[in-house]
Amino acid sequence: MIHSSDRYFVERKYHDPEKEFNPFKRMAYHGIGYLEESGLDDEELLEGLKALPLDNLPHPVAKARAIEYLLQHQRIYLNEHDYFVGLYSLDRLAKCVTFSKWAEESLALRDPELVRLSEDVNACGAMMYWVDYDHVVPDWDSLMKLGFTGIIERARKYRKMHRTAGTLTEEADAFFEGIELQYTAILHLLDRMIALAEKQSFEKAKEITVCLEHLRHGPPTTFYEALQLIYLYFIISECIDRYQVRSLGNGLDGTLYPFYKTDLESGRYTEEELGHFLSYFLMQWSAIGNYWGQPFYLGGTNSDGSSKYNALSHLILEVYDGLEIYNPKIQLKINENTPESILRKAFDMVRRKNASLVFCCEPGMIKAVMGYGATYEEALNFDIRGCYETGVRGNEACSTSGYINAAKAVEYVFSNGFDTALNKQIGVQTGELESLVTFEDFYFAFLKQWENLVEIGIRITNDAEKYLAFVNPSTMYSATVESALKKGKDGYGGGVKFCNNGMLNCSFASAVDSILAVKEFVYDQKELTLTELAQVLKNNWEGSELLRAKIKKSPHKYGNGDPLADTYAAAMADFFAQKVNNVPNEKGGVYKAILHSARGFIRHGALTGALPDGRKSGEELSKNASPVAGMDKQGVTALISSALKLCPSNYHESFCLDIMLHPSTLSGEEGFAVWNNLLTTYLKGGGQSIQFNVFRSETLRDAQEHPEKYRNLQVRVCGWNTLWNNMSKAEQDAYILRAENIAR
Amino acid sequence: MKAKITDLKRFAVHDGPGIRTTVFFKGCPLKCIWCHNPEGISFEEQTAFFENKCIGCGACQSKDFHPRDCLGEARILYGKEMTVEELMPLLLEDRPFYENGGGVTLSGGECLSQAPFAAELLKRLKEEGIHTAVDTCGFVPRETLTKVLPYTDLFLYDLKAFDEKVHIRCTGQSNEQILENLLYLNSVGAKVEIRIPYVPGHNDDQMEKLAEFLRPLTCIEKVKVLPYHDLAGSKYKALGMENTLPRQIPTEEEINRVQSLFS
Repeated sequence: MIHSSDRYFVERKYHDPEKEFNPFKRMAYHGIGYLEESGLDDEELLEGLKALPLDNLPHPVAKARAIEYLLQHQRIYLNEHDYFVGLYSLDRLAKCVTFSKWAEESLALRDPELVRLSEDVNACGAMMYWVDYDHVVPDWDSLMKLGFTGIIERARKYRKMHRTAGTLTEEADAFFEGIELQYTAILHLLDRMIALAEKQSFEKAKEITVCLEHLRHGPPTTFYEALQLIYLYFIISECIDRYQVRSLGNGLDGTLYPFYKTDLESGRYTEEELGHFLSYFLMQWSAIGNYWGQPFYLGGTNSDGSSKYNALSHLILEVYDGLEIYNPKIQLKINENTPESILRKAFDMVRRKNASLVFCCEPGMIKAVMGYGATYEEALNFDIRGCYETGVRGNEACSTSGYINAAKAVEYVFSNGFDTALNKQIGVQTGELESLVTFEDFYFAFLKQWENLVEIGIRITNDAEKYLAFVNPSTMYSATVESALKKGKDGYGGGVKFCNNGMLNCSFASAVDSILAVKEFVYDQKELTLTELAQVLKNNWEGSELLRAKIKKSPHKYGNGDPLADTYAAAMADFFAQKVNNVPNEKGGVYKAILHSARGFIRHGALTGALPDGRKSGEELSKNASPVAGMDKQGVTALISSALKLCPSNYHESFCLDIMLHPSTLSGEEGFAVWNNLLTTYLKGGGQSIQFNVFRSETLRDAQEHPEKYRNLQVRVCGWNTLWNNMSKAEQDAYILRAENIAR
Repeated sequence: MKAKITDLKRFAVHDGPGIRTTVFFKGCPLKCIWCHNPEGISFEEQTAFFENKCIGCGACQSKDFHPRDCLGEARILYGKEMTVEELMPLLLEDRPFYENGGGVTLSGGECLSQAPFAAELLKRLKEEGIHTAVDTCGFVPRETLTKVLPYTDLFLYDLKAFDEKVHIRCTGQSNEQILENLLYLNSVGAKVEIRIPYVPGHNDDQMEKLAEFLRPLTCIEKVKVLPYHDLAGSKYKALGMENTLPRQIPTEEEINRVQSLFS
C-alpha cells in the first residue's frame, strides 16, 4: 500500500487540497513537486503556442504540432514520492491555437438557425446540448501489444498501403501525419523524462528509468510498465489532446492480467508489490478529483460462458478498498457466472461505506449493444464508457447529443409550445388548452412536444457534428483503432466501425407522474379543468396546497408497481427509445437512447416551472430511471418491478436505476442474501445498471448539521460518488427525502 | 371467508429468510407489555390518528369520512377485511424476488387466531410454490397447528419466558400451551426458528432457562434474540392506548451475550 508520506505528495500532485478547488475546473490547477527547470510555465507555453506557424496546416497536423510543442516544453513531475511521472500544465492549453479557434470557425459554417436554436434550448432548460468530444475509450489491447512505438509503425504501414493503393487522399495523409507527429512527440517526451530520471538518486528513480526506457522503445513488459502506459496515455489524452478517456483498460483486470501473471510467475514481483504499484496508480485519480469521476470496469464473460474475473480483480478491489477513496469509480460487470467472492467483496464495500461501485448487468447490456447492430461477439465484449454507457470494444466513438428534458415537454403543452422565459415559440403548437378535450388529446399533445425536442436535438447534433473532426481531430485515439487506419479516417469522422450518438431521456418519472396526475384529476375525476390547473401551476401551487397533497397522495406514481402508472411509463419509455434508436446520424452511425440524466436533474430542475405532479418550480427533477424523490412508497421490490417494465435494453446506450437501502436491511449474513437477491432479480429481469445508496435519514440529517463529523461520508450521485459535504443544501435535502421513504 | 388485516409489508427482510412479503393479521390473544405492533392487539377495526402528520385538510370533518381520504395520511385504518382472492395477487407481486429462499410470512397480531383463513391462504401459497412462514406466539389450540402444518415451511416461534409467572406478568397469559405446542412441532418434524424478545427488567432472567429448554429440541433451525426497542410509542398514542412500553433498551453487548447462550 502507498506510504503515507508518498500519499501526502500524490494528493498534492494536481492541486493543493487545502486551497479552494472547483472540481468542475479541475484541470486549471497546478500541483507541487514539479521540476521547475524541466520546462516552462503556462504563460510561457501559451506564448510559444501562439508563435507556432500553424495557419496553413491541415487540422490533424496543426493540432499534432501544438501538442508536440507542449510535450517538448512541459514541466515534468518526477520525484521520490511517486512511481508515476506527471505533466505540469493540464489545462488543455493547445486549445487557444487549435480547438477554440476551429470551434469558432465551425460556428460560422454551421446553420445559424440551428446554432441559435441550440443556444435557446440550453437557456430555457428544454435540453442541454454542447458538442461532445469527450467520451473515448481507446483500443487498450493495441496499446498494450504495440506500445507507443508499435502504434507509430502500424500507422506507417497503413499509410504506405494507402499510398500504394492510391487511396492516400490529402485528408488521409494529414490524418497519418498527425499520428506520426503526435506519437513521435510522446517518444520525445519519454526521452526527456528518461534523461531527467537518470540524474535522480532517489530510491524509485532506477525503476522509473527502466520503465520509461521500455515504453520508449516498445510495448510494456511488466505490470508496472503497463500501469505507467495507461497513465501516460490518459493524462496526455485528457489534458493535452482534449479527449477524455472514459475507461482505463478494456476491463482493467483483463488488460493487466497477462502482465500480472507473468510478473508473479517469473518471480519479478510479489503480489504485495504489485498491489503497491496499484495503490499509487489508483491514487492518481483520487488526487485529480474531478466531479464526474474517472471510470474503469472489471469482469465480464468469455465466449465459452466462463467469467472473466480473475485474481487481479480481487487485488484491485482490495487495494481500492484499502485506500478509502471514491475516485476512480468502478463498474462491475455482473452476470450469473460472477464469482460469489466478488459479489461478497463488493457488497461489503457498499454496505460498509457506500463505495463508488455500479453494477452493470451483462444480459441486459449485451442485448442493448446488439440492438444497434453489433455482433454477438462484439456485444459480449462490450466496453463500459463513462458512467454506464455501452460501447463496442475498441471500435466505437459515441458522442452525447442532448439531454432532453421531458418535464419541459409537459410545460409546453400548457403553453401551446410557447416558452415564456425566452418569450419565443420553442415547442410545437399543440392547441389551446380548451381544445384538449379528452385525456388522449392531452397525452398526444405531450408526445408531440417531446418528439419535437428529440428532433431538435437530432437536427442540432447532425449539423454540429459535421465538424467534429474539423474542430478536434481525434488523432491520438484513432491511432489505437485499426479500422480507422484501414479507412485512413479520423475515428470521429467515420473511421471507427460504430460512430454513434447517445441522447438522454431526462426527468422521465417527473413527466410520467405529471401525465398521470392530469389524467386522474383533470379528466377522470374532474377536480378542476386544464385551464384551472394551468393557473395553479402558474401560481406555483400557492393557495392549492390541499390539491397538491391529494395529487401527491395518489397511488398512480411511477416506481410503486402501480399497473396504470407502470403501463404509461412503459409506453413513454418505449416512445422515446423508438424516436431515438437507430436514427442515422451524420457520421455513418446511429443514435442510441439513454435513460439516465447525469446532472440534468439539477440543471433542468432549476429551469422548469411547477408541474402537475405537485412539484414546485425550480425543484430537482427525477433522475435516471428512478422515481420522483419521495414518491416510491411501496419499497424497493416494487421499484425494481416498475423499472423492469420499461424494457431496459431498449435503451441502447444506457439505463440506470438508483436504489436506496437502510443499513438494517443489509445487516449480517442475511443482508448479503437480500442484496444479492435484489441484484439477481434485476439482472434476470433484463436490467442494465443499478447502483445503491445505503444510509439512514437520521445520519444524513446529522451530517447536514455537523459536516465536520462526516468528512468521509460519500453518496452516489449519477454514475459517480461525491462527498456529502460537497453538495448543496437543496441536493442534500433531496437525499434526505428519499432516505425517509425506505423500509427498515 | 375474510380476515382482518392490519397491513402488508413488501421487502420484509426480518421475518424469515430472504426477501418476503409479510401479512399482518389483526388481533392477538396475548398482551405483551413491550408489544411494538399495538395495532395488532385488538381484534376490532381501529383508526389511528397520527397528530403530527395532520395537515388540516378537513376531510375527517365530513359525515361519510373514510380514513383513506385523509390527505396527510394522519388517519390510518387498521383491520381492513380481506379475502384470500384479494390477498393472493398482492402476495405474488414480488414473486421474482422470492427465489433463493424468500417467500411470504403470516404474522400479526396472531395470524393463527384466524386459523381457517390462515390455513386456506397458506394452502394457496403452497399451490403456487411459494415458501411460507408462520410467525406465531404459539398460544393457540394444538389442532390449529395441525391444520396449518402441511402448508408451513417454517414457523417463527416466539418465546417470551420460561417461568409461567413471568410469562403471565409480561403477556397476561400462561405459557403452558406455548411450550407444549413447541414440543408438538418438534415431535412432528416441523422446521422452527425461535425468536426471543429480550427486555431488560422483565424477562432478562429467563434466557438461561429458555436455552436449557431448547437444547434437546431437534426442530430448531435458528434462535434469534430480538433486541427490544421503544420506537412504537407514537402508535400507542395514535391508537389512544395506554403506552406500556418499558424504558430500558438493551445494549448491543448484552444482546450478543444473550445470543451466545443459544449457539
